Amino acid sequence: MKRQNVRTLALIICTFTYLIVGAAIFDVLESLEETSQRQQLDLKKKELLHTFNLSTDEFDELEKVVLQLKSHKAGVQWEFAGSFYFAITVITTIGYGHAAPSTDGGKAFCMLYALLGIPLTLVMFQSVGERINTFVRLLLHRLKKCLGMRRTEVSMVNMVIIGCTSCMSTLCVGALAFSQFEGWSFFHAYYYCFITLTTIGFGDYVALQSEQALQNKPEYVAFSFIYILTGLAVIGAFLNLAVLRFMTMNAEDEKRDAEQRALLAHNGQAGGHINCSVDPVSPSSSPSGCGGGSAVGGSSGGAASRGLRNVYAEVLHFQSMCSCLWYKSREKLQYSIPMIIPRDLSTSDTYMEQGEAFSNPLHSNGCMCSLQHHSGISSVSTGLHSVNSYRRLKRRSSI
Amino acid sequence: MNTQNIRTLILILSIVFYLLIGAAVFDALESKSESSRQRALEQKLKELQKKYGFMEDDYGDIERVVLLSEPHRGGRQWKFAGSFYFATTVITTIGYGHAVPRTDAGKAFCMFYAVLGIPLTLVMFQSLGERINTFVRYLLRRTKQCLGLRKKEVSMGNMVLVGLFSCMSTLCIGAAAFSHFENWTFFNACYYCFITLTTIGFGDFVALKEGDALKNRPPYVAFCFMYILVGLTVIGAFLNLVVLRFLTVSSDGSDVRAEVGGEEQGSQPNDMQGERRTLDAAGPEAERRSEPSRLGAFISRVCCGLDEYRSNSHGLYDQTGGHNNPVFYSSISYRLDNVCCSSCTVSSQASPCVLAFCQGKNNPHIRRNSL
Repeated sequence: MKRQNVRTLALIICTFTYLIVGAAIFDVLESLEETSQRQQLDLKKKELLHTFNLSTDEFDELEKVVLQLKSHKAGVQWEFAGSFYFAITVITTIGYGHAAPSTDGGKAFCMLYALLGIPLTLVMFQSVGERINTFVRLLLHRLKKCLGMRRTEVSMVNMVIIGCTSCMSTLCVGALAFSQFEGWSFFHAYYYCFITLTTIGFGDYVALQSEQALQNKPEYVAFSFIYILTGLAVIGAFLNLAVLRFMTMNAEDEKRDAEQRALLAHNGQAGGHINCSVDPVSPSSSPSGCGGGSAVGGSSGGAASRGLRNVYAEVLHFQSMCSCLWYKSREKLQYSIPMIIPRDLSTSDTYMEQGEAFSNPLHSNGCMCSLQHHSGISSVSTGLHSVNSYRRLKRRSSI
Repeated sequence: MNTQNIRTLILILSIVFYLLIGAAVFDALESKSESSRQRALEQKLKELQKKYGFMEDDYGDIERVVLLSEPHRGGRQWKFAGSFYFATTVITTIGYGHAVPRTDAGKAFCMFYAVLGIPLTLVMFQSLGERINTFVRYLLRRTKQCLGLRKKEVSMGNMVLVGLFSCMSTLCIGAAAFSHFENWTFFNACYYCFITLTTIGFGDFVALKEGDALKNRPPYVAFCFMYILVGLTVIGAFLNLVVLRFLTVSSDGSDVRAEVGGEEQGSQPNDMQGERRTLDAAGPEAERRSEPSRLGAFISRVCCGLDEYRSNSHGLYDQTGGHNNPVFYSSISYRLDNVCCSSCTVSSQASPCVLAFCQGKNNPHIRRNSL
């Protein structure tokens, strides 16, 4: 099975497992509290029904009115300030729900607004985040030079640490501010900032909803808006640094596979002994495939072992990634992304068989992160085989 | 100011502008309705208060009980099914808020759960979306072959059309299903599906809230979960096709890299093959060459179409600036093509793999469409 498929399957299984484990833990944490709260409320409701001599239907009617009034209690929600707040929650996909369009026109416009706004916002935050990362990298480099340190390159681990620290401090600053202005406890304000900046946006805690703040406290309103947008930019910078590269892994592998197929096609024409390393029924779209016209030796017979080797390669890849991050934190990982594309072991065998004179630059330490002289490498071998020259693409590490 | 800064500034300004416009339109659409509704509700409340003889404090009690009971109306929210629903809304960042952790331990665990779960989910959806795009591209090519069309390559326009169509049909299927099961109007169910699958998740419409559905209708519960996850995958595939390339536009780096990555630049000539030097030279050089026109091209590209890969295929061997697309120049695709071109045209001692790659030039275009 191709590596991309293995990776995707593994991710799906991981996510489902994560959901199930999370569900079980939430069940344990919240069920008891829910039951006891429910019982209390039922008792209270019975008391009220009794005290005011209400029937259940009458109480339902009252309940409906109260629930509908809930959002109005927090103040006028759709004046300009409130609408701006709402527009922010739409395009950042936070979506508190403290105010939601009730007219059909509002709902339709909301959908159209989100359709254009969400991609625009995603691109904007990633762009700003990348600029922030570049600037921080520059600052850190200058700082290291000033301090007269031996190695002035900024490593990935440096950047990740700084990213984590800035996220935590953004959350803490927000927690302090909102606990002060909204009267929440520090923990609840921190929870609010976290839920907001990860764009989950439950709506159980929402800023600007007490004391008609949207109308009466313009400075606090401005602070809230700026905090949300800046905080999202900081989180976006961290995601740009740490997560975005993983989102493009499959596409990178597809590209690599097609390159290798093209290579094999050429070598097949040259009459060499070719071991077709591509699963013949793979859904990739490359037309040339392995059938370059030459003898394709053992292509179907090796499928199972190739599949196993792919899984093994993927495991090695994760292993070496972890060890890289642990041991090679001082290496210049700036423009290379060590965890992207280790070479397929099967194709390496191919190259070895053909005896091509490829360079093997990575045999020195055995760790794929030691890239002093080959920092342009984006595709990283597992140290067993060569890297084609044309695959030394200059990847930026802030991708 | 280099291109990246300009691009970022333009994006920031457009977001601010977009927000202002949105605020004005929402104000116009909703304000009047809001104030009239508020008046009507307060009127009704006064009537009810007079009817039942409430005092202010009494009403306060009732209000509190009602508001606190609201999440319980839909049944037990924290049994396994409800917790699974909640966990889904956390890691997909939908976040309805129909059920929220009340204990402090629940809140703390929710935060840790999200810190790991959200990136995992993002990567998973993008990974699966890329697989889907590749499969669709393969199917489309086979279809074109079967139909005997002249041009067998799958263009970006084809993929975008297919993506749009699948998103629309996902929304419609969900709207039909939820309008039936939840007794919403078709429009409201459509609105619910849209708000859910874009992960906004207001919570004004939430499935599985009525009639204790979480306990009593397990097939419907399973359908809801599957719909949310599959729908997010379809949307994720479309985002992977269309938006991800804009997210990975990398830094120009020619200014910053000169300072920060000086060693790297210096080490380039030491490398084995001449292609890489050509690659590095061509990259920043081409980027510096045509900034203003690139900016215009970028803006028009963002606004208009995404047919750059069709135009790429013509611009492949035109290294000297026929292509003025900044995203393309700084993309991985360009560098790959560039090496290929340089070695095809320049070097006779280019390694055979590169020559093969040049000969197989169709491959990169088809393949790269999903990045």
